Amino acid sequence: MNLNYSDEQNMLREQVLKFCETNYDFIDREKILDSHSGYSEENWKQFAELGWLAVPFKEDNGGFNFGPVELTVLFEEFGKALVVEPYLSSVVMSGTVLEGSNHPQKTSIIEKIISGEHQVSVAYAEPNIGYNFFHCLSAVSKNGDGYILNGSKSLVLNGGNADQFIVLANHENSPILALIDAGIKGLSVQSFKTLDGQTCGELTFENIALDSESILASGDDAKALFNKMIDLSILCISAEAVGAMTSSYMKTVQYTKEREQFAQPISNFQVLQHRMVDMFIETELTKSLLIKATLQLDSDDPEAGNTISALKVQVGKAGRLVGQHAVQLHGGMGVSNEMSIGHYLKRFTAIDSMFGNTQHHINKYQAK
Amino acid sequence: MDISFSEQDLQFQEEIRAGLNGSEFPSNVREKQEKGTALSKQDMIDFHKFIHSKGWMGYNWPVEYGGTGWSPVQIYLFLNELALAQCPTILPFGLSMVGPVIYTFGNQDQKDRFLPDILEFNTWWCQGYSEPGSGSDLASLKTKAVLDGDHYIVNGSKTWTTLAQNADWIFCLVRTETTQKKQEGISFLLIDMNTPGIEVKPIITIDGDHEVNSVFFTDVKVPADQLIGEEGKGWTYAKFLLAHERFGIAGVPVVKVQIEKLKNITSEYNDADLSKKIAELEIDLEALEFTELRTLAAIAEGGHPGAESSILKIRGTEIQQRLTELFVEAAGQYILPYEGPDGFESNRTPAGPDYASPSVAQYLNYRKTSIYGGSNEIQKNIIAKAILGV
Repeated sequence: MNLNYSDEQNMLREQVLKFCETNYDFIDREKILDSHSGYSEENWKQFAELGWLAVPFKEDNGGFNFGPVELTVLFEEFGKALVVEPYLSSVVMSGTVLEGSNHPQKTSIIEKIISGEHQVSVAYAEPNIGYNFFHCLSAVSKNGDGYILNGSKSLVLNGGNADQFIVLANHENSPILALIDAGIKGLSVQSFKTLDGQTCGELTFENIALDSESILASGDDAKALFNKMIDLSILCISAEAVGAMTSSYMKTVQYTKEREQFAQPISNFQVLQHRMVDMFIETELTKSLLIKATLQLDSDDPEAGNTISALKVQVGKAGRLVGQHAVQLHGGMGVSNEMSIGHYLKRFTAIDSMFGNTQHHINKYQAK
Repeated sequence: MDISFSEQDLQFQEEIRAGLNGSEFPSNVREKQEKGTALSKQDMIDFHKFIHSKGWMGYNWPVEYGGTGWSPVQIYLFLNELALAQCPTILPFGLSMVGPVIYTFGNQDQKDRFLPDILEFNTWWCQGYSEPGSGSDLASLKTKAVLDGDHYIVNGSKTWTTLAQNADWIFCLVRTETTQKKQEGISFLLIDMNTPGIEVKPIITIDGDHEVNSVFFTDVKVPADQLIGEEGKGWTYAKFLLAHERFGIAGVPVVKVQIEKLKNITSEYNDADLSKKIAELEIDLEALEFTELRTLAAIAEGGHPGAESSILKIRGTEIQQRLTELFVEAAGQYILPYEGPDGFESNRTPAGPDYASPSVAQYLNYRKTSIYGGSNEIQKNIIAKAILGV
């Protein structure tokens, strides 16, 4: 057993940390949120130049062939600065599905993702199916050599900016994953801001004609590929949550040392000290499960799925505790939108809701 | 990064497992552990002598002093196997507490005199730290030791002394000087429990058990060569002792086995709420276990345990207590008949499952875990100061 990060992994962490320190303070971030696309195209270009967009892809496709460990390093640092660029949707989610598919143009699509000029989003959620993503009503039916797609998808991350979508749909009670262009006839996209400042889209499909090439995977293959994508996505947002927790407790410690009431720094008060210790403890425990899940996923351990659920539960509970305590200890400043601290709480709330919330994963863990 | 155990580690695990399942394991201990009945003093001695006979007693000691010199991962695997085989806990007082203090700070005579008996379990040690007026504020302790020729004369009292009724020796923090800074006048003294002037009085805890005691010292003559290290440095040794005792403090392997037991018991209850609570406890235990592994890995790398090690005591005891609560919840109203931790005489048993009475005994007994070894609130003070810097 060896739980040390390699030199290369530590260098990657350093690099992301430095980037965020230079380009991602709270004011920078506010400007990005106010922009039309909801992320910084300049930053995205830099992500590409720094090679970050190539991290998880195989060498054949122009990537670095790094694994879950490197992804969690990236996301932990993203979480500290509340980075909003669409890395999860375009690189992790779409990248996983594309790379696992047999699409004839997959290499060229992935190359365009890596170069930063192309974005793809996975459309997995629907209005009325909760977290049972495979029970979707969006459906394709056979039409000559091709298919017709009808239905709708919700909460498509970065949906307003994507150049292509990967749609989870039903075909004769069996799942398929289909790739469609954002400009295809019959598709309408409505973009919304999310509670934590990112963007998502609602898609509707009206008799969209698909050729057979656009089916990336079907049946059990589609199911396995989709589940793999969800597991990796949970891992990434959990790493992001660990980073956000680390920032939250550190910022809170700093604030209580500076804030004076009753003629002394409020960090002198034991009630507040113990709350901050609780924040620290939850952060460390989450980090432990994150490392365990990362290494299990990396080694294709059959237990990985359970650990991912355990991790998601821990992230949900710890995120709530750390986020709420951070706001509480900042007092009125904590609920002020002009301070970063409340934005961490929003991100924790968003993360808990994604890919199965705490309750969902307790049930899943229990049924193991 | 790599999560797997090496071939050698797995082979080591097999050897331990085979040894614990072998015929040399004292049958009196095995029977009582399976039934969940209390172990006698002799049972405990038999168990420790068995562990010694396998050469495992010094599992956390360096080879130089007769220990195994095992790696942290081996220690982890060893403690896991003990729990799986339903062994009692190896008593920490000699092996994990005073032993390391003696081999680190004691002189050669003291090492020769005390260490072999600890490994062979010829002496049962107890811990003389807390006093009636000194709990969390341990450094305010008042038990006095005055040097008189080649002896110290000790007067005062210790309390919450675990299993003092069985002990041959006690290691004590005593005040040898009244100093401005209260920590500076404390010394570390080893005292034979058979010395005249020592009186042990039981304290019965809320579960009805006699586990802890008051120990009174009246003009007790202690040879000066039983002082460890230097006079006035006792506080340093006391802190070393607490830091050294990090292995197994979270009690993870035992809780793991107990959770499986609870799941078996409740598998037919169809109580969704209880099952959910058990699942949540398992998740918390997984997080804690991997935190312990992170600590072990850091030590194996020759580093100091990171900040994460301070979490083990707090979260470990919280989990232990929650587990006892779930057993009680599972037993429901059948916890009511209760005649103490030894259960009922065999010819009269009340209604309800067999585990009901032991569960409530354990629940009451385990309230101690968040209080002893530095209360969890004190642990949080330590983290606040040492890690958060507030």
